[in-house]
Amino acid sequence: MRMPTKTMRLFDDLLESPQNTLVEQASQDGRIPIGYSCAIVPEPLIMADRLFPVRLHATGVTGTEMADNYLSSFVCSYTRSLLEFAMDDRYEYIQGWVFVPSCAHMQRLIDNLEYLRKPAFSHVIDVPRKVNDVTIAWMVEELSMLAENLSSHFSVDLGDESLSRAIAEWNSFTEIVRSVGELRKRTHPPLTGTEFHTMLMSTLASPKDLIIPKILDFKQEVQQRGSPVDYRARLMLVGGHLHDPGFIRIIESQGGLVVADRFCTGSIPGLMPIEMNGDPIRNLAEHSFRKTLCPRMMEEFHRRVESIIETAREYKVDGVVIEIIKFCDLWGVDAMPLITALRKQGIPVLKLEREYRLGSEGQLRTRVQAFIESMGT
Amino acid sequence: MIVAGCDVGSLTTKAVILNNKRILSQAIISSGFKPEESAREVMATALSFAGLSTDDIQYCVGTGYGRERIPFVSTALSEIACHAKGAHWLLPTARTVIDIGGQDCKAMKLDAQGNVVRFFTNDKCAAGTGRFLEVMANILGFDLDELGKVSLQAKDPLSLASTCTAWAQAEVIHHLNAKRTKSDIASAVNQAMAARVAILARSVGIEKDVCMTGGVAKNAGVVSALERLLDVKIRRLRIDPQLVGALGAAVHARQKIGG
Repeated sequence: MRMPTKTMRLFDDLLESPQNTLVEQASQDGRIPIGYSCAIVPEPLIMADRLFPVRLHATGVTGTEMADNYLSSFVCSYTRSLLEFAMDDRYEYIQGWVFVPSCAHMQRLIDNLEYLRKPAFSHVIDVPRKVNDVTIAWMVEELSMLAENLSSHFSVDLGDESLSRAIAEWNSFTEIVRSVGELRKRTHPPLTGTEFHTMLMSTLASPKDLIIPKILDFKQEVQQRGSPVDYRARLMLVGGHLHDPGFIRIIESQGGLVVADRFCTGSIPGLMPIEMNGDPIRNLAEHSFRKTLCPRMMEEFHRRVESIIETAREYKVDGVVIEIIKFCDLWGVDAMPLITALRKQGIPVLKLEREYRLGSEGQLRTRVQAFIESMGT
Repeated sequence: MIVAGCDVGSLTTKAVILNNKRILSQAIISSGFKPEESAREVMATALSFAGLSTDDIQYCVGTGYGRERIPFVSTALSEIACHAKGAHWLLPTARTVIDIGGQDCKAMKLDAQGNVVRFFTNDKCAAGTGRFLEVMANILGFDLDELGKVSLQAKDPLSLASTCTAWAQAEVIHHLNAKRTKSDIASAVNQAMAARVAILARSVGIEKDVCMTGGVAKNAGVVSALERLLDVKIRRLRIDPQLVGALGAAVHARQKIGG
C-alpha cells in the first residue's frame, strides 16, 4: 500500500470537520464563508470580494438522531446528515447559505433549517428544470437577485469587475485541478482515485486561493513518484453526492482504479472553464447548465449518457460503477435507463446503493470484486 | 494435481479438496469469531479426512466474507465467482444460480464457461436470507431441515403479510397463538422467503438451467415454492449445496495452475 504524502495527510485533515484550518484562517482574515449544497450554484459568484464558498459536507457523521426527528424516513441520508450537523452547530461558522431546491429532500432541509436554525442569510436559487433561451434569461435574473442580496447583506462588491476577477480566479483554480485529473488518463496513472477525490473534496471545503498552493505541491509530489499505481481494472464512478473518499478507497482495495468521475462532487465536467465574454452573470448562468449533468434536469438524459460514454472512452475505462444514495429519487430513476444505455454500448455496469456515511464495507468489497472478476480483467 | 478451496462464511466455514476432477474430501464447521482460525480448523479437518498434509496442496483459493483473512490461500476470490464456478462444475448447463447464504442472497447469470455475466445481491436486509429462516424455525421449535419437510405437509397454507424478519416473527407468533398448525405456518414462512428471493432472481433474468446453492437450498419447502413462483425446475446438485462456494474456489484453484 502506498504511504500517504504530506499534502495528502493535509487534505485528509481538511475533510475531518467542515470548519477546517483554511476556513478558520480565511474567517480570521475577515472573509465570509458561504455554504452551498448543489453543483448548480456558481462558485465564482460566492468567491467575489470577501466571500468564499464552502461546499456543505458532513464527512465523519456518526448518526442522525436529531435530524431523524424532523425528516421522514424516506429522506436520503445526505440531507439527513447535513441537518444533523447544522443542529449540532457544526456549521456555526458559516455566515450565509445558498441553496438550490435540487430535489424534494433538499427542499425539506431548507425548510427545516429555516424552522430550526434560521440563518442570518439564506437564499434559494429557483433553478429551472429545462434549458433553453428563456431558462438562461430566468437564471440570469435569479443570479442577479442573489448577487444583490449578498452585496447588500454583507456589504461586498459583486459588480461586473469583481465578478470577472472571481471568474478568472476560478478558471485558474480549475485549470490546476484539471491538470492533476488528466494524469489519470495515463495508462499507468501516478495517483489513485482516492487521492484525487480527497484533494478535490478539500478544494470544495476550503477557500480556493488558500488551497491552490497545496494542490500544486501535491501535483509535484505525484509527478515525482517512481512507481505508477497498480490496478486490475480502470473504473469510472457515476452518481450523486459522494464526499467520503473512503468509498473509493474500498473500490480501489479490490483492484478497481477510479480514473474518471461523473458525480455531483466530482471533476467531470464540473470543472470546465467559464467562458468570459461580456456579462459575467450571464456567463455564470450559461456555465451552470453546461457543467451540470444532474437527473433533476428534464429532457437531458441523452446528453448525460453521451457525456458518460465519451468520458469512459477518453479515460479508457473498463467499467462504470453507479453509486446512488438510498432514497435518492432522481438518481434512482435515472439509473435504470442509464444502465441499459451503457450496457448497449458494451460498457459493464455495477450499481451500488449506499448511505451517505460509509458502511457495509464487506458487502461493498464483495460486489466490487465480483464486478471486476466478471469483466475478466 | 491436488488443490483446495476454503469458504469462510458468516455462519459456516467450508473446505473442499480436489484431486483433478475428483472431490477427495470436504468439511463444514460453524464459523467462529476469527476467520483465520475457522479457516485453519476446517482445512485441517478436510486434510485429515483425505489423509493429506498442508504441503500436499498445490494451490488454495479462499472465498466468503472472511476471504481476505485466510492466511494460507494463494488467492482470494468473491463468493459470487466461486458459487458460479462450483455450480457450473457440478452442472455445466447451469445458466442461473441462486445462492442463499446465512446473511445474504445472490442471483447470478452465467455464460457457458461458468463465468458470471451479471449478478444481483441482497445483503442489507435479513429478509430473503438464511437468517430469516433461522429466526422463524427457532420460534416454531424446528431445526432448519425440519422447517422444509414440515412445510410440505401443509393442509391449509397460510401467508405472511410482511417479509421483514421482525414483523414476520410477530405474525408467526400470532398464528401460533391462534392454534394454526405448524406445517401451515412453516409453509407461509417458506413461501415468504421464496417470494423475496424470486424478485432478486427475476432481476438477473431467469435462464435455464437453474440451480440453487447455499444452506437454504436444503430446505425443500423454499425450493418448491421458488419453482412455482419462477415457473422453472430447479436442478438439484449432487453435493451438499453449502459446499458449492468452497468447491468453486477449488475449481478456480485448479484453473490457476492450468488444470
